[in-house]
Amino acid sequence: MAGQAPSRRELLQALTLAGLASTFCGFSRWSYALAEEVDPHHHQDAPVQIAHAAYTPQFFSPHEYRTVEVLADLILPATEDGSHQLQPGAKQAGVAEFIDFMVSSDPSLQPQFRDGLAWLDKASEPAGFAALSREQPNALLERLAYKAKHRESEKTGQQFFRLFRKYTVMGFYTSRIGLESLDYPGLKFYGASPGCTHEGNPEHIGL
Amino acid sequence: MDSYDVIVIGTGAGGGMTIKTLCEAGLKVCALNAGRQLDPAKDFRQHKQPYDLKFRSFDSPARRKISIGYMDSEYVSPDVWEHDIAYSTAPGTSWTWPRCNGVGGKTNFWGRSAARMGDIDFKAASRDGCDVDWPVSYADMAPYYTRVEEFIGVASTIQNRPSNPDGHYLPAMKFRCMDYIIEAGAKKSGIPYLPDRMAQLTEAHNEHPACHYCGNCTEGCDVGAFFSSPYFLLPKAHETGNFELRTNAIARQILVDSDGRAKGVAYVERNTRREVEVYAKAVVAAASCVSTAQIMLNSRSRQWPTGIANSSGQLGRNLCDHLYGTAGYGYLPQLLGQPSFPDNVSSATIAWLPRWQNLDNPKQEKFIRGYSFYPGGGCDVFPYYSEDIEGFGASYKAEIKRRYPTPVNFTTQAPSQRSDKNFVDVDPEKRDIFGTPQIRIHFEWDDNTLKMWEHSCQSCEELFHNMGGVFQGRSEPESPGWSLHETGTCRMGDDPKKFVTNRFGQAHDVPNLYCADASVFLNCTDKTTTLSVLAFSLRTAEYIVQQFKAGQHTSVAPRQG
Repeated sequence: MAGQAPSRRELLQALTLAGLASTFCGFSRWSYALAEEVDPHHHQDAPVQIAHAAYTPQFFSPHEYRTVEVLADLILPATEDGSHQLQPGAKQAGVAEFIDFMVSSDPSLQPQFRDGLAWLDKASEPAGFAALSREQPNALLERLAYKAKHRESEKTGQQFFRLFRKYTVMGFYTSRIGLESLDYPGLKFYGASPGCTHEGNPEHIGL
Repeated sequence: MDSYDVIVIGTGAGGGMTIKTLCEAGLKVCALNAGRQLDPAKDFRQHKQPYDLKFRSFDSPARRKISIGYMDSEYVSPDVWEHDIAYSTAPGTSWTWPRCNGVGGKTNFWGRSAARMGDIDFKAASRDGCDVDWPVSYADMAPYYTRVEEFIGVASTIQNRPSNPDGHYLPAMKFRCMDYIIEAGAKKSGIPYLPDRMAQLTEAHNEHPACHYCGNCTEGCDVGAFFSSPYFLLPKAHETGNFELRTNAIARQILVDSDGRAKGVAYVERNTRREVEVYAKAVVAAASCVSTAQIMLNSRSRQWPTGIANSSGQLGRNLCDHLYGTAGYGYLPQLLGQPSFPDNVSSATIAWLPRWQNLDNPKQEKFIRGYSFYPGGGCDVFPYYSEDIEGFGASYKAEIKRRYPTPVNFTTQAPSQRSDKNFVDVDPEKRDIFGTPQIRIHFEWDDNTLKMWEHSCQSCEELFHNMGGVFQGRSEPESPGWSLHETGTCRMGDDPKKFVTNRFGQAHDVPNLYCADASVFLNCTDKTTTLSVLAFSLRTAEYIVQQFKAGQHTSVAPRQG
């Protein structure tokens, strides 16, 4: 049993460390740690403070970036739960920054995003998508999002919406906020094999 | 240069077990491993949250380009998976081959399902007339299975099923919500749903800690709570003082003396690309099925013009693999809107649907033999199902949350049967960057395997209906190679004209050359390979020790302590 207790302890420390990782200067709302940047011998160090600086897009123009922010937040907005608690959305999770990072690091995505955002603006003339008032973007997005409302002439827009929604979901649900919103049960310690608690109802009817 | 008693090529399940057994018996062993030593603290990031990875687990574009898929992701260091040793495929063959050449090989990441094979497998040919029986019976192998299970720790229950001999088990993992729902459906379908045989420690065992159910086992465990060669086997060998491990040593050729017997191995140093020779009284090839065949086929000499120990012409032939595919995926509406359940931590299969076809009557179905199913699903680290939901906004977000505990899917594990069309040979033209002739793979699924796949798709759709699930679709079968369960190429049998190795994995032609991996298996079965690789290699290693003791390998006296 020699090596067991220390390694368990180390592991707990590693888990605690995960959220306190060093930050990357480019981002204001989310942080990550490359494994090689985490020194396992310095678990006791004070956590690095994450600066909330203004974010400078790496790929998108300021106008495009504004559209990315608006669109991401329309797809996954902050919502209220049953007890009127605010549940954060794309804006709070820094999804626009994530999308900018992913697109800036992958040239093969860049034309699709650039053309798609231009398409959105064209479909929202004359003001442009980001300047649409609250109900107007929903009418346009519904045409792109629901098969029953698709228009033959808007194929480009539909494809872009699908791509953009995918990246919004990727950004949101891999953020701490997004994982907490799902109450992701993994990466935790369980003392015993966690089992079903619905005794006497194996078919789980009427939960 | 030092001379050794035995050189072992490979340090995975077969190599690791052989090394441990030989070292503990006092033999001096040199192991050659094609990759480097892995450092779990640095190379495995399974305790990282996605937001602690630069690309949030989606990998950099550069990594995505070279990734072979599977576990070759941001969660592990890029060179954990082999990208430098090229192989080729014959026209018409699609072969996806994730190779881990780090020390311990695939045991670092394996799926941990560890069922015994039985006489229904070893004597299958006698039952259905196809191919030939294995040269061993279950009675021969049972004691080895027991010793392996007691050593590595396997969690399961006693099930009394004709296709699955029971073993010695740690307490099984508990069923999750989805397991009870599937079990009830399976009962209506008349098919079994039982705890899998999981080589994952439900309690501390042999100085290894119990599993903490974090759920990311397939990215590598850094506490060693499931069997892997570097945590369980190699330390025991190091303790003896009889073990030397050479890493980044890519075995190229088995060297022979004037009688055609093995006298050593020539390997290439990965970093310097220099060729080095090392000598021993016996050689064990345990590089995994296809790589073992590559080394032996490339070991051409005056005595062995078509590859060492290939007088039968069977070296590299009889390649089999498991067809993997998602026979059905969908969700369980019973769990819609439920809180996220820790019981849905989804990395372990926990349960399986062991073979239920052709048990009483070997020719009951339109195919011979049988396949098994593994269930998956639950609260995953990422809501992949979000792509299937229409819409956006608050309702979309709410639906993602509502569906979170419900996903379910089934993976078919269907064994291919021996075929003349499926084999490996040496590519006559292409060499890898180390100058070694590449192995060339010829493979296609046989009709029997495709019929099993069809049957599994039908069974799965019926199961979805019976468990009250919503069936959404299925995948195409994965490319061959994907399961990492390839077998054959050096099959064992009593007749030297038909088989490369004898029932102990000893080459018929070259008595001081052994194979200790799945290359000696007659075929795939509905079970996974690792537990059997461990049992067979333990038996082979003890046979080698006996041969040394009997003076068969011109041994010096076994060393003390």
